[in-house]
Amino acid sequence: MGLRVEAWAAIIAFITTAAFIVWPNPYFMALFAFFAQPLFMIVALLYLRRVFRELRKKDVL
Amino acid sequence: MNWLLDLPTLVKVLGVTSCVFGIALCYRLIRVGRDSLSRDKMVNLRIASISALTFNKLLAFMAFIVVAGMSVSIANYHVFSGVKEVRSCNSCHVMRPMVNDMTDPSSETLAARHFSNKWISSQQCYTCHTDYGLAGTLKAKMDGYRHLARYTTGTYTEPIASPSVYNTDNCMQCHAGTRKFEMVSSHIALRKGLSDGSLSCLNCHGSAHPTRAQRTPGHPDYNDLMKQGD
Repeated sequence: MGLRVEAWAAIIAFITTAAFIVWPNPYFMALFAFFAQPLFMIVALLYLRRVFRELRKKDVL
Repeated sequence: MNWLLDLPTLVKVLGVTSCVFGIALCYRLIRVGRDSLSRDKMVNLRIASISALTFNKLLAFMAFIVVAGMSVSIANYHVFSGVKEVRSCNSCHVMRPMVNDMTDPSSETLAARHFSNKWISSQQCYTCHTDYGLAGTLKAKMDGYRHLARYTTGTYTEPIASPSVYNTDNCMQCHAGTRKFEMVSSHIALRKGLSDGSLSCLNCHGSAHPTRAQRTPGHPDYNDLMKQGD
């Protein structure tokens, strides 16, 4: 499974989340709420899509 | 070991650790290319040996689902516990007049009297505004996110105004039923109006915060109210 795009996106989301946890100001809060959280969701969906595709390819699903 | 008992610090440490762990996992997923993974190459986990490919899949699951979910949960806990603190409200400069006035011992506003007399000992903003902002009900949370978006994008005008009438139930959750409250004859006479929202405590007890005029740029009180606190 090549997951480079997902991994880079997750790194950006993790950095944004860590920045908000360390410096909880309105701007980092907005970045976390409106950017990092949806990015995590997109990463998880992309990852799950790959998992389901692989399972389907192997006739598991 | 005292810091371990301090929940906000613990949450910060856990949150940052979880994010750093997530970054490390993602970095490894980037470094280890698809070609270098094979079913023949084994990874020893002490309790079992699994193929490098399976190990990489486990890492991906950890990074994108487990650790990401943990980081988001901790950060959300940080949001919803943090927004109850006065310093959190004060971090938006449009809220500074309210906080500066509340902490001013010479102020006669209702919020300042509650603060200086320690009628509310902590989380003063949240205690009186439980139905507002990210810590309130679902609608209040949505409003809170909308206000956060408007504040950070600068799409607001000063002075800010509440879109709704202050809910008297917020006062009543502390005052109703107390001897001091029940002893005032007008409270009994006006009970119906107070409960159906046609009357507000502010009608008799004065403004809770500085007036809109005072919070308007150019007003003589504006600079004092906007000064940066500690």
